[in-house]
Amino acid sequence: MNGKDYKKVDITIKSNTKDIYAFTKLVPNRIKRIKKASNEPLTEDPIKDLAQKLHPLRQYLKINQIIDNTKTTKTFRFVPDNERGTKQLAYFRAGQYLSLKVEINDEWITRPYSISSSPNESLEGFYDITIKKEEEDGFLTPYIWKNWKVGTKVISSGPEGFIYYEPLRDKKHILGLAGGSGITPFRSIAKAIAEGEIDANLTLLYGCSDEDDIIFYDELKQLEKDNPDKIKVILVLSCEVVSLTGCETGFLTAELMEKYADVSNCSIFICGPQIMYEFVEKELERFNLPPKQIRIECFGEIKNISAFSGFPKEKVDKTFNIAVHIGGETKKIPAISTESILVALERAKLAPPSKCRSGECGFCRSLLLDGDVYISPISDWRREADKKFNYIHTCSSYPISDLELIIPRKQNRDF
Amino acid sequence: MTELVEEQKIENKYDAIVIGSGNGGLAAAAKLAKEGVKVLLLEQHNLPGGFATSFVRGRFEFEASLHELADYGPKSNRGGIRKLFEDQFNLDAEFVCVPEAYKLILTDPEEHMEIALPFGIDEFIDTIEKEVPGSRESVRNFFNLAKEIRAAFGYIASTQGKPDQGVLMKEYTNFLKTAAYSVKEVQDALGIPEKARKILNAYWCYLGLPENRINFTLFASMVLVYIDKGGWIPVNRSHGYTTALDASIREFGGDINYNTKVEKILVKERQVVGVETSYGDRIETSHIVCNASPTLAYNQLIYPKSEVPEFAFKEVNARIHGLSGFCVYLGLDATVEELGLKEYSYFIMDDMDTEAVYESWKKLEAPRGQATVVINNAIPDCSPPGTSMMYITTLFKPDAWKDVKPEDYVKTKNQIAEKLIDHFEEATGAPIKEHIEEIEVTTPETYARYTGTYKGIIYGYEPESWDSLVPRLMSMGKDQYIKGLRFCGGFGRRVHGYSSSLSDGYTVALLTLQDIKKGGAEE
Repeated sequence: MNGKDYKKVDITIKSNTKDIYAFTKLVPNRIKRIKKASNEPLTEDPIKDLAQKLHPLRQYLKINQIIDNTKTTKTFRFVPDNERGTKQLAYFRAGQYLSLKVEINDEWITRPYSISSSPNESLEGFYDITIKKEEEDGFLTPYIWKNWKVGTKVISSGPEGFIYYEPLRDKKHILGLAGGSGITPFRSIAKAIAEGEIDANLTLLYGCSDEDDIIFYDELKQLEKDNPDKIKVILVLSCEVVSLTGCETGFLTAELMEKYADVSNCSIFICGPQIMYEFVEKELERFNLPPKQIRIECFGEIKNISAFSGFPKEKVDKTFNIAVHIGGETKKIPAISTESILVALERAKLAPPSKCRSGECGFCRSLLLDGDVYISPISDWRREADKKFNYIHTCSSYPISDLELIIPRKQNRDF
Repeated sequence: MTELVEEQKIENKYDAIVIGSGNGGLAAAAKLAKEGVKVLLLEQHNLPGGFATSFVRGRFEFEASLHELADYGPKSNRGGIRKLFEDQFNLDAEFVCVPEAYKLILTDPEEHMEIALPFGIDEFIDTIEKEVPGSRESVRNFFNLAKEIRAAFGYIASTQGKPDQGVLMKEYTNFLKTAAYSVKEVQDALGIPEKARKILNAYWCYLGLPENRINFTLFASMVLVYIDKGGWIPVNRSHGYTTALDASIREFGGDINYNTKVEKILVKERQVVGVETSYGDRIETSHIVCNASPTLAYNQLIYPKSEVPEFAFKEVNARIHGLSGFCVYLGLDATVEELGLKEYSYFIMDDMDTEAVYESWKKLEAPRGQATVVINNAIPDCSPPGTSMMYITTLFKPDAWKDVKPEDYVKTKNQIAEKLIDHFEEATGAPIKEHIEEIEVTTPETYARYTGTYKGIIYGYEPESWDSLVPRLMSMGKDQYIKGLRFCGGFGRRVHGYSSSLSDGYTVALLTLQDIKKGGAEE
């Protein structure tokens, strides 16, 4: 050892004897204090209670009402399923989504759906989830159409997602760009403005490709009428024949945005199908807005992954094998390169945890032991160290070779 | 009870189980695995780290909680944590030293002060002398005393809490003489001028107790380590090294299961026999290293409840539950140069009346002090070109938040966040608000949610002299009420903080190794 690197200080706090005595009494005094304390268990934790109210791990819901919006769109009104333990619904920020967990033929799948009712209405005891029947989505929405009735029990996550008005960041004026069923979070935001929950103005450009697909239009127009200084709704129809009056025709172009809003002084919120993002993003380039003014709702799994320039063309629609380690088990499952690994895992009934299905929330984070995946830069939200240590979000990763993977276990039977 | 998913069952017997993958749990699991123990690390969250993690918003990856790691040090002056990471864990993670100790800004007009402190004991003392002429000798004595104390801690730890009183009396007299006193009491005796104390004690918020309550030996030891070895941060945020620890554990042959919450610690006749998880797994083991607090273990986890000795409840109730945090994470669309921010670490307080600041943490209003980190001033490319990241941190007694209703939660936290941003802008002149591209605000609720800690506490039990490092270390061996159950982490023996928790996890792994050996001999 190299000896002491310090000079001994001459210090006395009370007196030499008292100081040493105080030291010798430290442990006995501690024991004395403990002996004197209460032996009652601590049963309350109001902070954890608040956390559970705001962010329940799961919510047990029951369909209380089904509203037909159009031929292809229904709104399901959910109330708490008291019997299964959900007494009150989690409060949320207008614009957020719920991840619904649905069991179809023994296979658990999740889908994120924006809440279309207002935060205030969750205090009154309900959430509205508005769902459009998607032919391309294969089996989920047809299943819902056929099977969901008043009384059907559904499991959901707590409220999730980041497309909400944040007064410390956003401009006082929101320019909403909605496409098709992407209108749902804006219904919630518009109601929250009308109810005084959000102190901001909303100009909403609502693009639809078919008059039959328009949802909530009358209701939104009523909100506009009741709050003329705060809410403005403009329908933009891209169909050939337009019978409605008082709406714009064509697409959500820069000209239209300029016509209805002082774009450079707006926060732009975008929600709609993937093709609409691609279109609108190009239109927005004209305004040269800083990124902070453009908020994009995550849009679910990428549908045309092979169209991305980095995707190896020779791997399109190839099937690979994945060796999946889950708990103490290893399973071999097939996976198609153009479908996310999460979909392959769900098909194999492994049902790992997932929420956003957009690469964003990281709930499906898994360790890639071997093989290559393609991840589009637009849905790669991984942490830096996760990239370094080969962790992937299975909902935004596509297999381009055989893989070996460790995934989290399914969250027991209930979820 | 939840029904087990049969096909996803994990192994049902381990030599040791570590509950929780915070700093303490990760270090413990890594050491146990390295020594060939068949160990399983269980974590309720889907990531390792506990508080030592990161999260992504937009273009930014934010550090969740670390300001600076103590006891890491440069290659030429390696601290205990660097030795642990390099020599023991072969860790694949990079760290950098932050550029200066801190900038202290007192904003009360009557107390106004603005001073930047460098690392290095001599440079630090010089800087204070320049601001407070005549303070040199007393501040130098503070550091000499701190060195003796630190040497004494090293000695006590090496004896596993059973130091030879003769050695202590002879070699570490000043340690003994100050062990039972507060910072205020000892600094009074050292005769440090009041103004110099304000500068010297700025790190107090890392321990979260005012000068008249915080134990001197603990505080002095912490200040010494920072000033001597510098403050270090992981290049890829805390997730960078906690993920690397995960990789080391796996490499050493340890098993890790995320998303798996331990619901019960199974105890039979005061001996650990296993755990039960949220999946319904029942796993046998005789040795548990618990990174969850004694508060949670005794009140919620141990099953059956009748196995919790009365004295354990008393211990938990006697100790003072510490503070929770509040943090405003800001992703800014301006560079640090554009904002005019030069320092990494800003301590901004109305004044250095630490009792008054502590009192302000009990109320649901903007506290009178903040510790703010501008991470680009240590890692320039940690965010995209043209941007920067900072986080404003303050503290709260968790109960300040107990009556907040869910529907008022966002408004409440935003009001406090805005005042903290205002305070930072006023103190530094940097225009923050107009550049906010991403913002996230965390509260005690957030910490409770993600880590499951009791009331969202981020600091463990308060280290007043009676329950500070010294009596905790010297109670070693007398503080185990259930055979096979040992605690580590922020609520552990070494008091809270990243490096304390890491060292504690390592020490507890060594103790558990001894337990396993002894157990083996008995069989």
